[in-house]
Amino acid sequence: MSDEKETDSAASGPSSAGDSSGVLEGVQEREAFVRTFLRKGMEFTEDLLRENESLRADLDRLRVENGRLRTQVASDEAIRDLLRTVEGLEEERTRLLERSSELEASRRQQVDLYGEIEREMNDLANLYIASHHLHTSLSVSSVVQHLRDMVHQLVGAECFVIYLVDADGLRARPIAQAELDPSTLEPIVLDGHPLGDACLTGLPRIRESNLDAGSLDDPLAIIPLLADGKAVGVVSIISLLEQKGDWAEVDRALFRLLGAQAGTALIAANLYSAVPSPGEALADLGQKLDVSALNNPEGAK
Amino acid sequence: MAEYACLVVEDSAMMRQLLVFALARIKKLKVTEAEDGVDGLRKLAQGQFDLIITDINMPIMDGLKLVKRVRSDEKHKDVPIIIITTEGSTEDRQRAMSLGANAYIAKPIQAPQVIAKVKELLDIR
Repeated sequence: MSDEKETDSAASGPSSAGDSSGVLEGVQEREAFVRTFLRKGMEFTEDLLRENESLRADLDRLRVENGRLRTQVASDEAIRDLLRTVEGLEEERTRLLERSSELEASRRQQVDLYGEIEREMNDLANLYIASHHLHTSLSVSSVVQHLRDMVHQLVGAECFVIYLVDADGLRARPIAQAELDPSTLEPIVLDGHPLGDACLTGLPRIRESNLDAGSLDDPLAIIPLLADGKAVGVVSIISLLEQKGDWAEVDRALFRLLGAQAGTALIAANLYSAVPSPGEALADLGQKLDVSALNNPEGAK
Repeated sequence: MAEYACLVVEDSAMMRQLLVFALARIKKLKVTEAEDGVDGLRKLAQGQFDLIITDINMPIMDGLKLVKRVRSDEKHKDVPIIIITTEGSTEDRQRAMSLGANAYIAKPIQAPQVIAKVKELLDIR
């Protein structure tokens, strides 16, 4: 405002002084302009400095933020690495579990197979031992005793009768028994009796259910003892030992063995008992084994 | 080389052979056979055994008497005894156990069952 007043008073002076006052006014205007310019420049510079200061502060803040973000990114990368590792380990674990399951299944299979082989071996041993004893006995009583052992100890029969079939095939006479009073046992007329049917057909009759309800007239198992296709004896099983609930597979094999071999073992032992010594039992063997007989096996009979 | 000695006392030759066959599967075991209780006592007097397997029903001396004699014998009083019984549960079995038998096997015997019982009593892996 003071500058403007000076300008106004200068303008109201005489004309000679008017030129100089005009110059003065020009100078004053320039000075005012310069002062204004400088003031504005100073203000602008101050604004720039403030702005610069603010930008520096922002820059520092952004640097800090950037550092934090960099750390976070590194951390995230590490987590991603860990997750990838965990995923890989999970896959490995799954693969190992599958392999473990396969091995376990294989192991169970081997155990089952081993158990099956054990049972097979046990069954074969039973059959071998039974057959061995039947055929190495040279007395009828021994053969009958082995028959008893087979039926009682190997099969597990509690009550049973062993019969011999008469030469005419009409009757069966008891020769051994277990858990029965011998005086109560009588010869059986085979015609019309279950034992007769088995002897006639040569086929064993084995009951598959109600194994706790056998009787002399309706046994649990009837095994005809064959020789040359003809029944020479028969085993009748009335009851089983308490702990034996059902037939085992080896029982059926033992029945087949009994049916096929016990009859001939009885006949062989009976024939052997008629001679005084093993040497005499073979005395006429040479005659039977002449060359013509060897060349014609049918003729040797 | 056998590490254990077992005495099998059984009058039935067939059953004896069956037991011997089963026990032959245990490689560390040497088996001696006896035909009845008296024969069993004779074999016991002649040797040292780690296990006795005996049938109950035998002529001359049955398994029960044998168990009693073994338990009163200083040399073999601690030897484990397995008895072989006919029935699943009978007085004979209970009596044998009360006389000092350690275990029983019911007939008809199965080799795996015999092997398992012997291994258990002798602590064979």
